[in-house]
Amino acid sequence: MNDNIEKDDFITISEAAELLAVSIMTLRRWDESGRLSSVRRKEGGHRYYRKKDIEVFLEDLFSLAKDWVLSNAEFPKGFYCQTSAIFLARITKMETLMMQNKDAKDMFSLLTSVAGEIGNNSYDHNIGKWIDTPGIFFGYDLNKKQIVLADRGVGILETLRGVKPELKTHKEALEVAFTEIISSRRPEARGNGLKYVRNVISKNPINLAFQTGDAKLTMQGNSANLNIENVKEDLRGCLVLISY
Amino acid sequence: MTIELRKFGTTLISRQTGKEAFLAAQSLLKDVKEGETLEVDFDGVLTFSPSWGDEFLTPLLNTYGDRLVLKNTSNLSVKATLEILQTTLGKQFKVID
Repeated sequence: MNDNIEKDDFITISEAAELLAVSIMTLRRWDESGRLSSVRRKEGGHRYYRKKDIEVFLEDLFSLAKDWVLSNAEFPKGFYCQTSAIFLARITKMETLMMQNKDAKDMFSLLTSVAGEIGNNSYDHNIGKWIDTPGIFFGYDLNKKQIVLADRGVGILETLRGVKPELKTHKEALEVAFTEIISSRRPEARGNGLKYVRNVISKNPINLAFQTGDAKLTMQGNSANLNIENVKEDLRGCLVLISY
Repeated sequence: MTIELRKFGTTLISRQTGKEAFLAAQSLLKDVKEGETLEVDFDGVLTFSPSWGDEFLTPLLNTYGDRLVLKNTSNLSVKATLEILQTTLGKQFKVID
């Protein structure tokens, strides 16, 4: 460590672990892989972290969520909502902050409901079917004007096959999810939440990127157009970025 | 009779809480007389979503039909939700402002 740099700019590995809510083992692994590098006062000495590096790391919500859905990488527990009750508490907090935020206050109810539909879909469609980790990643950054949601559930294709067994690809499934009204079937009720999401985006300056399996849908605000393409990375569940 | 939705919360977004609210409302609904209008007041609701709405409003519309009246629906998420529920159900809600 450069002695000219103020000690206040650095924190110990245990302080970093507490701040990020991950284990020290995980931090060591991240350090070795270069994902979050530490600095050392002397060779072989204790690891320290720059406060700025931790801030930057936490700001990259999309990478944290993507690494989780792609490879089950650990992420800061503050973004984890194991149950829908936890998600509701955290999204209500986001709603309150948005109401006081100049960029979000005019659309806070639409942004909250869109994120709410996507997040709640994860719980409603995966209950009893979670593969390894129950619950979702939910993070938001009002400065970057983005909301990130992700789950390691069964994905849209498998969910929709329950009502449309003829579906074959993730791409087809995404298109159906965003375009076809699937009538409510009790006891398995469907709220057609993604059609709602599309409808809201088509009339407001809200953008969406929604990936499930090897298919990715993108929508630009104020347009109902859906751009759905195949992508190289095949991920488990869903990975969503809402920006405005 | 009027049901004030804010008494169920101001962020009404999940299917699960919509279902609970509908069950809780049964004790109020038993007092609705035959032919009486049932008003659902959205005043004070901050965020509303199709999942919650489908659990709460859809069964009310199916039971009360034209006697169900919605008021104070100017919130953007309320308006957008009513739009998608109407498309899904193929029925219109009666709205007064």
